[in-house]
Amino acid sequence: MTPAATRRTNIAGAIITVITVIAAVIWAFPIYWGIVSSFKLEDEVVRPYIELWPEHPTLRHYWFALTQTQIGSWYMNSVATALGVTVLTVSTSLLVGYAISQLRFPGRRALWYLILASFMVPTQVLIINHFVLIANMGLLNTWAGIILPQLIHPVVIIVYKQFFDQVPKEFREAAVMDNASELGILTKIYIPMNWGVTTALSIVTFIWAWNAFLWPFLAVTRTEMMTITVGITQVSDAFGVYYARQLASAVLAGFPVALAYLLFQRRVTQAITLSAGIKG
Amino acid sequence: MIRNARKDTLIAYVLIAPFVAIYGLIFVYPTIDMFILSFQDAPLITFGPQTAEWTGLDNYTRLPGDRRFDTAFWNTAYFVLLSVVPGTLVALAISLGITRLSGRLQSLVLALFFLPYILPVSVVYRIWDWTLNFQFGIAMHLFDTLGIDRVPIFKTSTWFMPAVAFVTIWWTCGFSILLFLAGLRAIPAEIYEAAELDNAGRWTVFRKLTWPLLWPVTALVLTIQLILQLKIFDQVYLFSIGGRPNDNLVMVYYIYQRAFQNDDGGRAAAIAVVLFLMVIVVSVLNFQLLRLAERKT
Amino acid sequence: MADIALQNVSKSFGAVEVIKDISFQVKQGEFVVFLGPSGSGKSTLLRMIAGLESIDRGKLLIGGRECQALAPGQRDVAMVFQNYALYPHMTVRDNMAFGLRNIGMKEKDIAARVADAARILEMDALLDRRPSQLSGGQRQRVAIGRAIVKEPAAFLFDEPLSNLDAALRVRTRVELAQLHQRIAATMIYVTHDQTEAMTLADRIVILNDCRIEQIGTPLEVYTYPASRFVAGFVGSPGMNFLDAEISTSGKEAVATLGDGSRMAMTISVPDGGAYELGIRPEAVQVTTGRGDTTGEATVVENLGDRTLVHTRLNDGTSVIALDGGRSQIAPGDTVTLRFDTSQLHLFDSAGRAYHAD
Repeated sequence: MTPAATRRTNIAGAIITVITVIAAVIWAFPIYWGIVSSFKLEDEVVRPYIELWPEHPTLRHYWFALTQTQIGSWYMNSVATALGVTVLTVSTSLLVGYAISQLRFPGRRALWYLILASFMVPTQVLIINHFVLIANMGLLNTWAGIILPQLIHPVVIIVYKQFFDQVPKEFREAAVMDNASELGILTKIYIPMNWGVTTALSIVTFIWAWNAFLWPFLAVTRTEMMTITVGITQVSDAFGVYYARQLASAVLAGFPVALAYLLFQRRVTQAITLSAGIKG
Repeated sequence: MIRNARKDTLIAYVLIAPFVAIYGLIFVYPTIDMFILSFQDAPLITFGPQTAEWTGLDNYTRLPGDRRFDTAFWNTAYFVLLSVVPGTLVALAISLGITRLSGRLQSLVLALFFLPYILPVSVVYRIWDWTLNFQFGIAMHLFDTLGIDRVPIFKTSTWFMPAVAFVTIWWTCGFSILLFLAGLRAIPAEIYEAAELDNAGRWTVFRKLTWPLLWPVTALVLTIQLILQLKIFDQVYLFSIGGRPNDNLVMVYYIYQRAFQNDDGGRAAAIAVVLFLMVIVVSVLNFQLLRLAERKT
Repeated sequence: MADIALQNVSKSFGAVEVIKDISFQVKQGEFVVFLGPSGSGKSTLLRMIAGLESIDRGKLLIGGRECQALAPGQRDVAMVFQNYALYPHMTVRDNMAFGLRNIGMKEKDIAARVADAARILEMDALLDRRPSQLSGGQRQRVAIGRAIVKEPAAFLFDEPLSNLDAALRVRTRVELAQLHQRIAATMIYVTHDQTEAMTLADRIVILNDCRIEQIGTPLEVYTYPASRFVAGFVGSPGMNFLDAEISTSGKEAVATLGDGSRMAMTISVPDGGAYELGIRPEAVQVTTGRGDTTGEATVVENLGDRTLVHTRLNDGTSVIALDGGRSQIAPGDTVTLRFDTSQLHLFDSAGRAYHAD
């Protein structure tokens, strides 16, 4: 390339970079706008011009949400159910992934096909039957009732199987020579060797469960049993609309997952690319 | 390696037992139950499913003449059209921009684009309900400056689906971006260096190298998006609050309405079966297409 | 004592027989190398001793105890893997202690054994590191340490040096030889590298095509290869092979090479006829005096202390000959070759070997 041509492409490249950065800022702006509005007084919020920073920053909406609404119990419900879904999904999937990857047993193939099949079935179509089932079990409006139907995450098993498949067989052989039992091989070799993927899968499973809407929305009718994701949309003030108050409760609902993402960015992106079948 | 078949089997069964129990209860049984229910007249809430009566194919034969089913079906199709391809193109464009960046700037920009994906749908709903608020929304200032008349977006049928599609793209784009970035990273740098030595311009490089090499990822993103958006419910339900749900029906919404608002489990199950089959057909078709494409390359 | 005996051992993978009726003994304290090309069954044989592969027929005795039906951990052997298989999430110390903890040994005794092994292998400073923080050579040493702490009846090595670079491989080879002298343990070592076999082994077991070709000391297999295969496989550069027509009278024989040259030798073969004549390059001298035949130099490899001269005889046969370190020969030169007839071997069509006196 001639020097002039090189300069031209460099300028074009710089323009693309600038556009990308500006686009990113605009893209995330609604989130900023929602957060910043939640720190404004209600009469500041409805001013007919744009203020990028609150004139009188206030925490009163947060104070209101935490003391005058049921957000506290919703938080509890969300934490409990999301943790329940995460622990149950990850632990059962880990065991199944290990069995399919490392053991030979009758029915192994059938089990694998069942898992692949459940990958294709949309859980949304099962809501009626889940509702009937959970109602018959008397579990509506309980944590267990919220958790149970959310345990269908075949992708976690698939990722585990892939990772266990990739462990060189010499490790198993070395452990066998070292007198380790099958359980010992699983708990002392295979699980610790794959802590990374367990962390990543746990974080995203937690985020998925925290964010779940449809099923927790159906399974709970009593406001004090709602998860926060559902609760903030179902209960509104009796007198008029308080925008800043609504936004403050939304910020509270989104905060834990956003924090989890910002703390474990690499793990989250790894787990998500893995869940789509791409090696991260 | 030596294996003790009986011991292997025993251990395996112990390991898979909890999973099989859970899956039997919440996946296999409900799936079969869905088909059974779809041939019954079964009030869900008022009498309980035990009062169900067999009605043969009734629930299915009533679907073609059902205006709400019609709305739900076409709205779903419309939504898929509005969200899948545009969403994929936006994600591709963004990831091409991000992949040029490096270091801290890249992680920062990626985080800004990805953050919405991590948020619960109800938070997304609150943010955009506020941003697009008819009276006080910041987007309306933009409308004013551009000289467009303000509209109550989620209360207007023509605006509803495009607006929900727009919000959905904003919300879920991060996922597709990640896949595209992984795909772009998998293309070896030597290929671009070789192209540079061959004096290929930016556009040629994209058309002749990046696009074809990225096609498997693009196909994957399209597939995932397609199946995901067929199942849309949350956003449509939330943005319809205080609006006109009957105009905005989508498949899952209609299942919900039939089952829980009209107390008609049988007809709801029939709609569920239709959606179930749609998703299966799309998945299988997609899978075959992907395999065909793989064989070609 | 802990000697190892295999008696009529066989194994099949499905319909394919991979070990065919093998018997031999390893003496206490002996260093035995299984040498052979890939697919010869040497690794399978080692894994059968370890217990990682089943023994379909025959017996395995370790220290007089029948072991073919025992689990790997109960055979009192330790194995060093090709890729080491060091548990990446454990420190060096824990890697070595893992097997001892599994048999319920007291922590105090474990600590003593680990300390001992670390001293023998001079890696006290590495005990609290993880495998990812070690160099290739150090990992190799940890892998051996993991075997040493078990104080096994025998050490099994599966191509342990093949993951190291050339310089390190030579150094580790020497260290292994020293280790063997120091702890005087029974060792069985699998490799396809004949230099490792020659330098390390008390005895070499040469395997080809699922059976034993020859068992002997390094010098025996080098000097008196039992078959055409062994002759070709051992030694670098490899033995020269030439077609020859043999006529015999008693213990005296005359060989006629393809280019018409003849040479006499003392050798006992049952009949005259077509044989393959084998001779190592160091027994073929480039000479200025009278020789057995002449050839054209095609490639000259000067190794400093000696020179390998690749030559082509009149009939096109290739022969590698040895010359001194300061060889003046250039490609294209015609050279005279003298064969040391006391180092000749003859191989019949079945591959059986006869050695000249």
